[in-house]
Amino acid sequence: MSITDTNRLGLPNLGLGVGLRSKHYSHLMQNDPVVDWFEIISENYINNFGYGRHVLEHICAVRPVVMHGVSMSIGSTDPLNLGYLKQLKELADFVKPVWISDHLCWTGVAHLNTHDLLPLPLTLESLQHVSDRVNQVQDILQRPLILENPSTYMEFQSSTLHEWEFMTELVNKTGCGLLLDVNNVFVSGFNHGFDPEFYIRNIPHKAVVQMHVAGPTDCDTYLLDTHDQPVPTQVWHLYKLAQELTGGVSTLLEWDANIPEYPELVAEVQKAKQVMQGYIPEVPVHRTPYVDAVSNPVDHQVQITHD
Amino acid sequence: MTELANIQRWLTSIIVKPGALNDKIRLADDYYNLDNSEVVQATLRQTSAQKIEIYARGYILRLMECMEAEYPAVCKLLGEELFHTFVRAYLIEQPSTSPDLYDLGKNFATFLKASQPKNTEQSNDFDLPVELAILERALAEISRVKGLEGRTVKPNYLNDLLYLFDTTNIQASPGLILLNLSWPLAGYVKAVYQTQEPVIPGKKDSFLAVSRNHYRINFQEIEQWQWCFLQSLQTANNYTEAVRIAAEQCAIPQDTLMADLILWISVALNFGYIYKNE
Ligand SMILES: [Fe+2]
Repeated sequence: MSITDTNRLGLPNLGLGVGLRSKHYSHLMQNDPVVDWFEIISENYINNFGYGRHVLEHICAVRPVVMHGVSMSIGSTDPLNLGYLKQLKELADFVKPVWISDHLCWTGVAHLNTHDLLPLPLTLESLQHVSDRVNQVQDILQRPLILENPSTYMEFQSSTLHEWEFMTELVNKTGCGLLLDVNNVFVSGFNHGFDPEFYIRNIPHKAVVQMHVAGPTDCDTYLLDTHDQPVPTQVWHLYKLAQELTGGVSTLLEWDANIPEYPELVAEVQKAKQVMQGYIPEVPVHRTPYVDAVSNPVDHQVQITHD
Repeated sequence: MTELANIQRWLTSIIVKPGALNDKIRLADDYYNLDNSEVVQATLRQTSAQKIEIYARGYILRLMECMEAEYPAVCKLLGEELFHTFVRAYLIEQPSTSPDLYDLGKNFATFLKASQPKNTEQSNDFDLPVELAILERALAEISRVKGLEGRTVKPNYLNDLLYLFDTTNIQASPGLILLNLSWPLAGYVKAVYQTQEPVIPGKKDSFLAVSRNHYRINFQEIEQWQWCFLQSLQTANNYTEAVRIAAEQCAIPQDTLMADLILWISVALNFGYIYKNE
């Protein structure tokens, strides 16, 4: 296998990281974080000057931090929310993140926010629209924007590009970076019937700055991106392939519901080391007979932390 | 309108509007001049409507979890089913327009109040969930405001007595929330937080202070004169003036109030109701 030379937009490989979640605040204030770096949900700290901000300040002092957003709505046909971007920049001044990321998606129109990551028709019109906005955002934030491929549950008949082609063109037009969520590739591949390995082989590897791994849920006729399970075998396989093709990039475990105790979370992300040595854990995709599984769980963002 | 804008309006309307899925899809198809089966690619396993449903159902479930996280006591009081009914109606009437989920529950108490049956004799009892929602929102707000932490607060004096009499520069803490409710609800909420079975209290005028000190959130029922003093301090921003106003409001002689305050001031400092400014 040919190893592509690493570029990552000149950004570092931070190693293995986890998301900063309120459940672990008190643990992290008293114990070594163990992992190499943290990712925060930007919106969780933008108007938050309580304990969460205090913990964030502590974490920023001891580990590199990356800001990951869910409300930029880069694909929306609404005007860019300049107030939000200003707040994002203010938070960046506080956090000094190694980079700032969001998703290739839209969250609503007519000023509504569904707080979901909605899919775009992958057309030349969308490509031009998103490219223009990525350029605007990069001008405002004064840094490259890193965009993540979302899990999707529908494809549009009007689409003329595959997602990997869309991502490639977007990188060419804007110089943005990619956050490759290999679990999302697995989920979308199952839902839309494409080969996830083909997807991963056909994105611009030099632009990949970060990867996400997570555990989805099998809802029988589709996979759902629930972030509430250990990473399954198939996702680890895709992860290994992607790490080899990119030459190694920062890895982050996403776990947003049924969040385990901190040591268990750390143990899960550290499986990535064994995976790279060829030991892939045998973990089936979690199956549920219930229809109330939630993709992109966000309630961890509003939980009040009581000391 | 561009094709992209039209599709986005079409899908958003299906997701956020109330009603049965197929009705919502049909209405949106008509209004935006689209045909869902031509917009969304069906697969062997799923029709276009089933794919749309994943987003429509996920929208409600996801935001329901957020409301449950912010209003666990209201949920406990109403029971899950009724709580969900109210939240669904709330999300339909006031869908989120903010990038910040923290704003999602902002108007829930007002919404519950407006949903009460009008002109009924015992309509006051419907205020119980409303007041619980007011308290839970206050707790959400106090957990995120710019508080006392990080300010240079005057250090404690070595001579405690001198400290007690030095009332200059005493101010209401930033973010301090004062609630005057018809039920003493602090115990109910605390029980819910500790996953104990909460007891609905008897109706009784209640004066609550919600504050934060060293990132610890405090909410306590306090005496009426204490509450009046804090409220006056918030508006007058002057200790002596606050004493005068509170004494008048509570019909207590000023020197009695002052004497009581001297005993209470260290408690109020401890809970972060007040602080001494540099
Ligand atoms: Fe992700």
